[in-house]
Amino acid sequence: MAVTQPDYGSTPRGRTDAARHREKIKEAIRKNLPDIISEESIITGRRDRVVRVPIRGVKSYRFIHRYSNGEAGGFGSGESEKGKVLGKRPKQGGVLPGKAGEEPGVDYLETEIDIEELIEMMHQDLRLPNLREKELKEAVVPRGFTFDSVEKHGIKPRLDKKRTIKEAIRRTEILVLHLMRETGRTESDCRVALDLARGNMAEAARLLSGHEALPAGSPESRLHLESSDLRFRTLKEDVEHRSNAVVLAMMDVSGSMGTMKKYLARSFFFWMVGFLRTIYRSVEIRFIAHTTEAKLVDEEEFFHKGESGGTYCYCAYDLAGQLIDIEYPTKSWNVYPFHFSDGEDWDAERTVRSLEAVLDRGVAAVGYGEIQTEYSASVLMRTCERGLSLQLKKQQDYSYFEGKRGESPFLGVVIRGKDDLYPALRAFLSQA
Amino acid sequence: MKSADLAKLNEADQVIRQVAAELGLDCLPQEFDLVPAQKMMEIMAYRLPVNFSHWSFGRDYEIERTRYESGLGAPYEVVFNSDPARAYLMDTNPFPIQVLVMAHVYAHNDFIKNNRHFQLTRRDMITSASEAAGRFRRYEEDYGSEAVENVIDAGMAVQWNIDPDEATHPETEKEIRERLYGWAKRAPAGAAFDDLLPPRGVPTEEKRALRKKTPPEPTVDVLGYIIGHSPCPLEEWQKDVLGTIRSQAHYFMPYRRTKIMNEGWATYWHEKIVQRLLTEKFLSVEDHGYYNLYNARVKAHHPRMINPYLLGSAITANIEERWNKGRFGEAYDECEDSERKRLWDLGLMQGREKIFQVRRTHTDWSFVAEFLTKEIVDDLDLYIFAEKDEHTHYEVVVQETEWTRVKTALVQRLMNWGIPRIMVMDGNYKGSLQLYLQHVYEGFPLDEEYCRKTLEHIFFLWGRPVYLETREARGNESQSKVYVVDDRGIHSRT
Repeated sequence: MAVTQPDYGSTPRGRTDAARHREKIKEAIRKNLPDIISEESIITGRRDRVVRVPIRGVKSYRFIHRYSNGEAGGFGSGESEKGKVLGKRPKQGGVLPGKAGEEPGVDYLETEIDIEELIEMMHQDLRLPNLREKELKEAVVPRGFTFDSVEKHGIKPRLDKKRTIKEAIRRTEILVLHLMRETGRTESDCRVALDLARGNMAEAARLLSGHEALPAGSPESRLHLESSDLRFRTLKEDVEHRSNAVVLAMMDVSGSMGTMKKYLARSFFFWMVGFLRTIYRSVEIRFIAHTTEAKLVDEEEFFHKGESGGTYCYCAYDLAGQLIDIEYPTKSWNVYPFHFSDGEDWDAERTVRSLEAVLDRGVAAVGYGEIQTEYSASVLMRTCERGLSLQLKKQQDYSYFEGKRGESPFLGVVIRGKDDLYPALRAFLSQA
Repeated sequence: MKSADLAKLNEADQVIRQVAAELGLDCLPQEFDLVPAQKMMEIMAYRLPVNFSHWSFGRDYEIERTRYESGLGAPYEVVFNSDPARAYLMDTNPFPIQVLVMAHVYAHNDFIKNNRHFQLTRRDMITSASEAAGRFRRYEEDYGSEAVENVIDAGMAVQWNIDPDEATHPETEKEIRERLYGWAKRAPAGAAFDDLLPPRGVPTEEKRALRKKTPPEPTVDVLGYIIGHSPCPLEEWQKDVLGTIRSQAHYFMPYRRTKIMNEGWATYWHEKIVQRLLTEKFLSVEDHGYYNLYNARVKAHHPRMINPYLLGSAITANIEERWNKGRFGEAYDECEDSERKRLWDLGLMQGREKIFQVRRTHTDWSFVAEFLTKEIVDDLDLYIFAEKDEHTHYEVVVQETEWTRVKTALVQRLMNWGIPRIMVMDGNYKGSLQLYLQHVYEGFPLDEEYCRKTLEHIFFLWGRPVYLETREARGNESQSKVYVVDDRGIHSRT
């Protein structure tokens, strides 16, 4: 028969070598972090720890031609109109939006990345100070009771039987040794005598000194407890020191905040929480959406529901302030209020006052991201700059506003698009 | 798969083989293996059913898998030039697709058996690669997988820098020297007219210089020269690794040189075969509808690459038509009456014969140069695109549609099958075993990033300084540029 169905072993050869390749592309991933972290499939995907992202494979180098000056060209078919735009190609290193493998010529593949691994890479890439060494506020949480120490007096229910028996054995052995030294009799005689005397030392010595033949009993003696053998356990209240953080995610959901702006905010919160999780045992997130009024909402509503209407940012800060007072006292919580808005605030002066009130409560840091577009009338950052006398700090590829009130720092960044996401994260993380 | 389905495929195989023979295809015995999707993708990525391990195959496997999972894949087909020819069918494909693939495979089989460029390649590569995989695994155990990987990386970087026509003029280094000394007893096969010339007297001076010269004359077989002469020196296992890569490259070279022709030939014939199967009622109308859907996908236009299935089959069909109607030669070419040309038909009916003859002798380069006509370019709307720098991204724009310009550029691109020609000029440069390479500049400079990395790989194999002389474009001019790679890294001077 010319067509057969041979049974191939199930050695996944491809997968083994693919793993080696994946190791090699980690380096590539490191170089593409800014693109990868804004990859939509990570942020909007299910809450898996492992995500799949499209990426370019590691190149196989060989001699190839460069066909025109800097601009790659090629051939295609099915189009007769000269000058027609066929599509776009992102510049080198860019990850293609949309499906992998859509574009012939450049081979993309989907690879799996562990989010924790990504965060670790970002850690290294951002060269962050070791956040774990930061002085953290700790909350004391009662966890019931635990046994603490052992004492000689106590109530019967807390009798530590094992320790008591141990004590009795120890004492008996000492007495036997003592008797042997005093009377010069054999060990087994001493044991028998002690047993016959029911543990009484003087009686045992008397029995042994009388040269009477002792009954040849079994040498293993029974234990005779005395009150000094008793041991009792004591109880203590158990507490745990836990470093907790809460992110108060505040976002302007007024009509001017479109899908893209919300997406940027969402990406930011996603990575921020990811990072904070590496420091704190638990990170809570509370969502505050505001227009002219602020309210606590759930995550779904926070990111997906759009509202219309105007904007008073102060109401969000006021609500955050109340939440801190009631649920997250800064004495025991590390509070991170983060606010995203397009900066179109109808009463920016008042917002600055409310913001100051939040800072005065002693939060870990306040972050404000202003998502600006060409047409937005952003006033909030400028007002903050004046009101809090912020300084514009410039690093190689990003800049941010920095201010401090008491011990609580304020950080402001302006975000104009996906590309600003990574620098913004870097600014927040290196300073917060 | 159920055995009934397997029986059905065997029946289809018999019918297709019968039809193919009736249509004039001349095939090697053909065997098909029905394999799961995962195995299919492995074969495509590893290039052979069983091959040695390397991360680049793993990468290609992931690329194939990504394509497959996103549903972008056409029906896969892989045929190996072996005797009997071996091909693979994916067990998840529906019956009409299997028929398409099998018909396609029989045409490839005919091509492999008859195209002259496939004649001198070894037909035992499947077993040979599988043996190599075992040897490489042992090398990994003995010398560490990193050491093996480094050698494979370097070997693959120069795998195409070989002499594809080596088998047609096998000459040892000693024989080359003898020829150059003027001592050769017989004229070498390569230089066809040399035997008509009187033997050339070689001055003693020249002979003396020649004695020390290595290679005796410049060679394009960079990989072969490194294996034979690296002053490193290479260990036997390293030579085996490189030799395996080199022999696989020789095996795949004919596929590379005839991609458009070979795929075009197979597409042209699978359409003819399936047409017969339909008229003979072997395929139902429903099956045929399904087939049409996939066939359209095989022949789809690609905006950013030439689809070899589409272009190759169009050229083949066009040749057949032209030679059937006598639309060639001086009289036809010089006729300027477009109406007369449109109706031109001498009734020669030489088309079939012509396409069989073309598939025997040509490669893509000569195939396109000789047979790509205005009709085809206009019909398929072939164009050249350019990528314009728009700061944040490149914009892909149709730049040229005029047929002669498209054709000239395409032929130029197919020259030497797209592989830059690199010659080993001197293996004892400066009298101290340094390697001097020269890029034969044919209008296109080398890509700098790729060039630098490749030179580093060559340096790894050679162990002594390596030079590469090339040219780079300067406006409309070009100027010489020399790369040097040694212990201190790589630098270039113009």
